[in-house]
Amino acid sequence: MNTYVLSKDHLNKLAQELLTSGYKVISPSKDGRRFVSISSIDDLVISPNLKPSAVSMKEFFFPKTETLFYYKRSKDEYDLIDAAEENHPQIIFGAKPCDASAIPIVSKVFNWDYKDEFFNKKVENTIIVGLACKFADENCFCTSVGLSPISEKGSDLFMIPLSDNNFACKVITEKGEEFVSNHSSIFTETIDEKSINTNDIKIPEKRFDSKEVKAWLDKNFNHHLWDELGENCLGCAQCAFACPTCHCFDIVDEECNHTCGRRAKNWDACQFEIFTKHASGHNPRNEQDKRYRQRISHKFKYYTDKFDEILCTGCGRCTRGCPVLTDIGIILEDINQLAKESISNN
Amino acid sequence: MKQLIDISKELFESKKVGYIIGYAEDKFKRVKPFVAHSSSDAERFVFSNYSVNNLAVYLTRLLKPKESKIGIVAKGCDIKSIIALIQENQIKREDVIIIGVNCNGVVNQIDEQFSKENTAIKCKYCQVRTPAHYDYLVGEIKDVDLPEDKNFAIMQKLESMNAEERWNFWEAEFEKCVKCYACRQVCPLCYCEQCIVDKSMPRWIDSSATVKGNFAWNMIRAFHLSGRCIGCNECERACPADIPLSLLNRKMGMVAMNEFNYRHGTDINQPTLIGNYNVNDKEDFIM
Amino acid sequence: METEKFEPKIVAFVCNWCTYTGADLAGTSRLKQQTNARLIRVPCTGRIDPVFIIKAFEKGADGVLVSGCHPNDCHYNTGNFHARRRWIFFRQLLDFVGIDSSRLYFSWVSASEGKKWVDVVDGVINSVREKGPFNGYKKLNKEIEIPVK
Repeated sequence: MNTYVLSKDHLNKLAQELLTSGYKVISPSKDGRRFVSISSIDDLVISPNLKPSAVSMKEFFFPKTETLFYYKRSKDEYDLIDAAEENHPQIIFGAKPCDASAIPIVSKVFNWDYKDEFFNKKVENTIIVGLACKFADENCFCTSVGLSPISEKGSDLFMIPLSDNNFACKVITEKGEEFVSNHSSIFTETIDEKSINTNDIKIPEKRFDSKEVKAWLDKNFNHHLWDELGENCLGCAQCAFACPTCHCFDIVDEECNHTCGRRAKNWDACQFEIFTKHASGHNPRNEQDKRYRQRISHKFKYYTDKFDEILCTGCGRCTRGCPVLTDIGIILEDINQLAKESISNN
Repeated sequence: MKQLIDISKELFESKKVGYIIGYAEDKFKRVKPFVAHSSSDAERFVFSNYSVNNLAVYLTRLLKPKESKIGIVAKGCDIKSIIALIQENQIKREDVIIIGVNCNGVVNQIDEQFSKENTAIKCKYCQVRTPAHYDYLVGEIKDVDLPEDKNFAIMQKLESMNAEERWNFWEAEFEKCVKCYACRQVCPLCYCEQCIVDKSMPRWIDSSATVKGNFAWNMIRAFHLSGRCIGCNECERACPADIPLSLLNRKMGMVAMNEFNYRHGTDINQPTLIGNYNVNDKEDFIM
Repeated sequence: METEKFEPKIVAFVCNWCTYTGADLAGTSRLKQQTNARLIRVPCTGRIDPVFIIKAFEKGADGVLVSGCHPNDCHYNTGNFHARRRWIFFRQLLDFVGIDSSRLYFSWVSASEGKKWVDVVDGVINSVREKGPFNGYKKLNKEIEIPVK
């Protein structure tokens, strides 16, 4: 599969073609805080220097609220009506590796014991155009979870800046190859992959060893570290909702009026107090220390046990948005330190 | 802040407190909330222009059975929250030891340098740079370059719009809401054991993040805080969707001031506004 | 083609001890009144959280009426005083957010004021009929309604 050269003009032309042919074209917003569906090429933002958005792009695969089906009541019967099929082709530009890699990671749980067709259909209909990342701050740690600023995981096409106006665009998947051949008037100039210089893309140092962290988590369910972390955390869901890999959801029935309504799938978070509240009133995770332990353990132990993936891409959104600056990177570094100490003590 | 650390250590050593809630720096020198449990913990206390958090929220979330009192490092606006909690009988005055701090303004964006442009809008109107209530007072008052109030122009624009335009403005804002409840969790005055939005039988406010559910949630939260919000604006700072929540609370604060000449959190003995009534309250809108 | 004349839907939250009884009296006295109002009985106007009013508008009400005992006549002594103070805030909040607060009506109707009840309800219905339907939530409800094919 080839690598092509695209200029900013090419990209604008491509975006315009896609908008005209009915694609949903998604890019970071002008202020970089969200991913938005654009209606004009003036709003297309492709910049490797951008800080990760405040809220991830999972909205386009796993919306914050989604109808599973509608129901209509007539006398003693209920009619169930399927939710409208939304098979809009989508394309996402400017997805950093920490954004794009979340999709294959989360796909595993959405295809585990039950195939989530809502999620799968959207993934099928989306082309993810990854973009190499030139932004790094103290909150990121993609290199500690097996990724990097030039990781192609999850992207169908991957863009690397060659100069201010030109990008190399590498085809990664078959879906990407098909897309390229459907837009051959844009993808004309090829380039040898080996000639691409990525020296100006800084690869951050690893901050912790995820294997050592997991080994510590395997054995330290009752460590006092959790008490300290539980003290600061306020129990909002900012981290979970901003996170590209968090995927817990709540299913609710909502009535529109007394004869009809819908069943919806909404974002939920283990940090909410009522997340594990039983109908009896008992709540096994009744305090924040238990809830925070769940967050870390799910991401770095339980998900790895089940699916051999880390449920984290190191994007740092949770830290940047946390009202009390709970820094998951620092916590994992601390856990790594504790792991080293317990190994040397043994 | 040697004064602050000395006072805190003295409180621990004389066993006057079980723990003290304050600010400390993390590994990257960023200021965040920190709970000190001992004298040696207290060595980490700091206070600066980056001490944005309203620590009074921990008083309603961290309540543990305690043999002794809780200390809290607080700036003038935070102390209003503490006084508000006392007015509402959530904590007793004698259970908290307030270490008041002379404040020289706090940042708007915490990941950027403190400057005139990057100062919280609430600091422009602050009348409690030296807090009104405290058990100890630390720090020095310095001259502050007051920021511009960008929200004033927005409020004026809203007042001049007609109902449909206002509805459209708020519809666009609430469309972004993801129902993370960060606004509720950072608010010291949102201390209900069961929030109305979590009640499912009957369901008063849709938990889904539809525009309808978001409208109801944000309106009801603003209403439940009317006459109680002291204007710390932590809700707006915490919101990941950048919704201008402070406008709603500011409007309710103006109603409390204009109709009742009332400001919550200023007088510890004053009965609360919404919890009380006056037989002469106006009723020109009642048929 | 003659378009259907708009008939407003009014939801009335009424307190059990005064207004509801007054409405009952209007009924037993066979006083004529329009039928657009649906009554919801609460023990006292002090029970009303503004979320009820918002829910009424969400469900399609064009106007909402809240009615209780006169000041000093509350069965629970002070419920209506607390309610009155809340409404002073709530009306301004509604206006600020873009919901016309004049679609929300308040009245004091006692148990013996059957005639006043009829006048109040008719007045509200006529007033809302003039204002026209409340469309704000119609668009928002489409998000969760069964889509029309």
